[in-house]
Amino acid sequence: MHLKYESQLREPLVYGEKTYHQVTEDIIRPIEVKPSKLWYIGFFISVALLTFGVYCIYRDVTYGIGQWNLNKTVGWGWDITNFVWWIGIGHAGTLISAILLLFRQGWRTGVNRAAEAMTIFAVICAGQFPIWHMGRVWLCFFIFPYPNTRGPVWINFNSPLLWDVFAISTYFTVSLLFWYSGLIPDLASVRDRAKTKLRKHLYGIVSFGWTGSTKHWQRHESLSLVLAGLATPLVLSVHTIVSFDFATSVIPGWHTTIFPPYFVAGAIFSGFAMVQSLLLVVRRVYGLQDYITIGHIEAMNKVIVLTGSIVGCAYLTELFMAWYSQNKYEGYAFFYSRANLFSPYGWAYYGMMACNVLSPQIFWFRKMRRNVTVTFFMSVLVNVGMWFERFVIIVTSIYRDYLPSSWSVYYRPTIFELGFYLGTFGLFFTCFFLFSKYFPVIAIAEIKHVLKTSGESYKDNMGKIEVQQPEEFAHEYAH
Amino acid sequence: MAKKKFVVGCFDEEAVLFPAVKKVRTAGYKIHDVYTPYAVHGLDHAIGLRETSLHTAGFIYGMTGTATALGGISWILTYDWPLNFGGKPHFALPAWIPITFELTVLFAAVGMTLTFCYLCQLAPFVKKHHFHPRATDDLFVMVIECTAKTNVDDLQGLLKSSGAVEVDVQVAEEGWWIGRYDKDEMPFENKTAVA
Amino acid sequence: MASIKQQFEIPGKMKMWSMTLIGVGLLALILGFITKGASSDVHEKAVFWGTILYNSIFFLLICNASMFFICATTLAMGGWSTTFRRVPEAISTLVPIFGSVAAILMCYIVLSGKSYIYNWLDPKVVADSVELKGKAGFLSPGLFITWTILSIGLWSLLGMKMRSLSKEADDTNFDSTTGQKFIWRNTVIAGLFIVWFALTVGSVTPWFWLMSIDGAWYSTMYSWYTFASSFVTGMALIGIWVIYLKNKGYLELTNNEHLHDIGKFMFAFSIFWTYLWFDQYMLIWYSNQPEETIYFKDRVQGAYKGIFFLNLIINFICPLLILMKKSAKRNYTLMTFMCVLIIFGHWLDFYQMVMGSVSRGQVSMGWLDFGIMAFYVGLLIFFVGRALASKPLLSRNNPFLKESIIHHT
Repeated sequence: MHLKYESQLREPLVYGEKTYHQVTEDIIRPIEVKPSKLWYIGFFISVALLTFGVYCIYRDVTYGIGQWNLNKTVGWGWDITNFVWWIGIGHAGTLISAILLLFRQGWRTGVNRAAEAMTIFAVICAGQFPIWHMGRVWLCFFIFPYPNTRGPVWINFNSPLLWDVFAISTYFTVSLLFWYSGLIPDLASVRDRAKTKLRKHLYGIVSFGWTGSTKHWQRHESLSLVLAGLATPLVLSVHTIVSFDFATSVIPGWHTTIFPPYFVAGAIFSGFAMVQSLLLVVRRVYGLQDYITIGHIEAMNKVIVLTGSIVGCAYLTELFMAWYSQNKYEGYAFFYSRANLFSPYGWAYYGMMACNVLSPQIFWFRKMRRNVTVTFFMSVLVNVGMWFERFVIIVTSIYRDYLPSSWSVYYRPTIFELGFYLGTFGLFFTCFFLFSKYFPVIAIAEIKHVLKTSGESYKDNMGKIEVQQPEEFAHEYAH
Repeated sequence: MAKKKFVVGCFDEEAVLFPAVKKVRTAGYKIHDVYTPYAVHGLDHAIGLRETSLHTAGFIYGMTGTATALGGISWILTYDWPLNFGGKPHFALPAWIPITFELTVLFAAVGMTLTFCYLCQLAPFVKKHHFHPRATDDLFVMVIECTAKTNVDDLQGLLKSSGAVEVDVQVAEEGWWIGRYDKDEMPFENKTAVA
Repeated sequence: MASIKQQFEIPGKMKMWSMTLIGVGLLALILGFITKGASSDVHEKAVFWGTILYNSIFFLLICNASMFFICATTLAMGGWSTTFRRVPEAISTLVPIFGSVAAILMCYIVLSGKSYIYNWLDPKVVADSVELKGKAGFLSPGLFITWTILSIGLWSLLGMKMRSLSKEADDTNFDSTTGQKFIWRNTVIAGLFIVWFALTVGSVTPWFWLMSIDGAWYSTMYSWYTFASSFVTGMALIGIWVIYLKNKGYLELTNNEHLHDIGKFMFAFSIFWTYLWFDQYMLIWYSNQPEETIYFKDRVQGAYKGIFFLNLIINFICPLLILMKKSAKRNYTLMTFMCVLIIFGHWLDFYQMVMGSVSRGQVSMGWLDFGIMAFYVGLLIFFVGRALASKPLLSRNNPFLKESIIHHT
């Protein structure tokens, strides 16, 4: 057994006088009661959006993607912008659950479950875009590697687009396994306190017969740790490969070596913003302020200012190198198409700079980091900014290519492109509403694990340890 | 599968559990298992379990993935049907690294999770005997299997004196079977059913 | 554990070794100057100055990585490294020393117009090149020197401030209010350091010092790559000092758990370095544009082929395979071996980054490289030893010390 001690200077991770049972009670109760009116309203709005999205996709399949405003040079527009945006959002979940687990950041326990769920839903949404962009979606099996009947020609393993297929599907699978293996013990908690037969039966099925045996916990810990170790490079690889979609090309503004780590930082940045948006609502609606504390929000805001600044550093590096390279095509992409307020898409570049680089800097101030309203506003702003970033990268680089006669007219989306995007919002929130209704939104077992060191009411016991001399303390611990 | 007899002691504090485990083991009893609501660090060593080698299995699965990807792609692109992609050599190793990495991770993660489920007998519709419904809530449930020599009363006394809040004797199936959880008694409907 | 050995006493052997290494280094330096530096052959001169240049930058950056480690830990509220915190502190005292040497050296190279190191110093070359002419506003001696002095000056200054805060804590007993305040003051300085670090090591400084050796070539990744290389080496350097002190019976409160985590950092950042290496290499290989591939042309297909792949084996394959196992990261012998290997590997990385361009087409590796390395290693041992002896080895009043004592991986 290890000594339950944590410095008193650390903020509690769990507020209030909590016992283990109280933790179970607080987190599972929302599952066991009827959802509130607000839940129903939100759920129906989401389903309505989803329905509209489904209609747009139906049109897309029957009519063809000609109904989108993609044209000669802008072959990628809103669709790929949204794809990259959603995939990026997914990254925060894995970051919280895997990288922060490896870095042993205790505060992850309060937010990891919801963040991982968000990852899975965001990846599902992201996946829609390349799939339906194929146009003849019934031929989507062409991307699978098998010796096919179209002549014995295989797919192109050297293409970043194929790497993406592997990356996204692996990412989805691993995130799902990680999330679900963490859920099993908590679903068993729901099962064991179920008050109706149906609930007991259903949660009995999904909790896989978990008993809480020590041997199982030991293996579970090993599994989580290795999955975290695998998910950490995986999450880096996914957005890296998304960035390869652009950076392996020879298109000005796309081909630059800093793209991979900068895309990853941007992904984490936008993902944390989305986690903030969701959790600020969840903690309020379900009354989980004791578990998702201001301290958690502050920690996430620190990550936002860190990643926002890394992204800013990359933007400026890129801009500087466009000049430093003295390559006139790079120069045109950056100094004419982007960083020029009077060019057709200049507004998007400056919007991106303002939302992603400048505004997060207010999180250098502790007061701002701990202000819920400011945080919510900022989290929306960051996601808008990160959408702009992808739009800027994609559209400003291709709307004027090397051949001026093929320069496109001003690209703006049709209602169907917009509707598809809104539809993925519907899908995302429908999934999230269902998740928050039927699954524990906080990892119960992990909260119990940190409760006795980081719970508010237990921290007071550490006063007498705190005044000990290090020698005395070390001596006592050794025995 | 035959049913066996078990003595069950429930504890409500980690700090009480560890000395109790030590006491029971020094008294010569073999602890069948301890069911806990969360992963109690160090408990596996305390009850004498050996380290899991699940991560070694993960490493082997990962290597299988690496070999599959590198072997497969190099066979396809250099032997089965070589094609010229952008003037690159047929053996374009840098371009294969991403897929190789992804398959390594995929094989390792899926393989490990399935092995985990297999070893712990976890699957939908699997049913096991639960010694205490609060083992997933707030109790640390120590279970000791009775042999012919076990003096049940002594053992119960020992557990009580080590701080167990509930002690009882159960006859139960050890393994798993296909079953439904709603066929169980419903402890929260009928409080008296709980021992 | 009644008393803790808090005072490091410099063993005679250590003094002797450091002096010997410095002596060997000085000898090499003098011989190098006579045979190469004063030679009339431009290539020989380039080898002489280039060798000193990459060693100076390498050793400066890996010592500065210690301060980066302290500041990053402070900002992340990390407590685990507190028991051996005095070690990175001691290593970082070298930043002003190595910094001054490097600054003088680079100012000299730039002011004396050694265009065989930085080709943009030659007005004729600049006049002939559209690219160099275009960026002459940036690649100019004035800006180079200003930025160099600013970089090193602020690293030294903020590092000193961090260390003095830590020393101040030795005489103060904190309660929870003064403890909070202490952490806050640390956080402010650490924040400033990290921001400045990002603007220097994370962007502009490596462009000047290293990338501009090939004046026309560019890669946006270059600075982050340099950072990753120097940080992983910095961790290995911390590791080797911790092991040394443990072997001498100091740092009683630091144990296998801490070593394990240092090992994890070395493992993780070796992979991170490889990740950046791969991104930079693969993207340039894939898009295959002559203005970019020129950098790798010499290294992958030319004389530097062997070193180029050796670099990858030492810095990626070895850490990956050797440090993956938990038991390896807790094994003193293996960890010592890996620390040395990683330091050597990234020294080799810096070697090929600089000399691959300075001594194009001909591998210059020889006695001079190892001589200069010995000089810097000797200085490093001497000054770190002195810094360790100047303060108690345990930062006993640090509010996170107790967390660090019971640290468990």
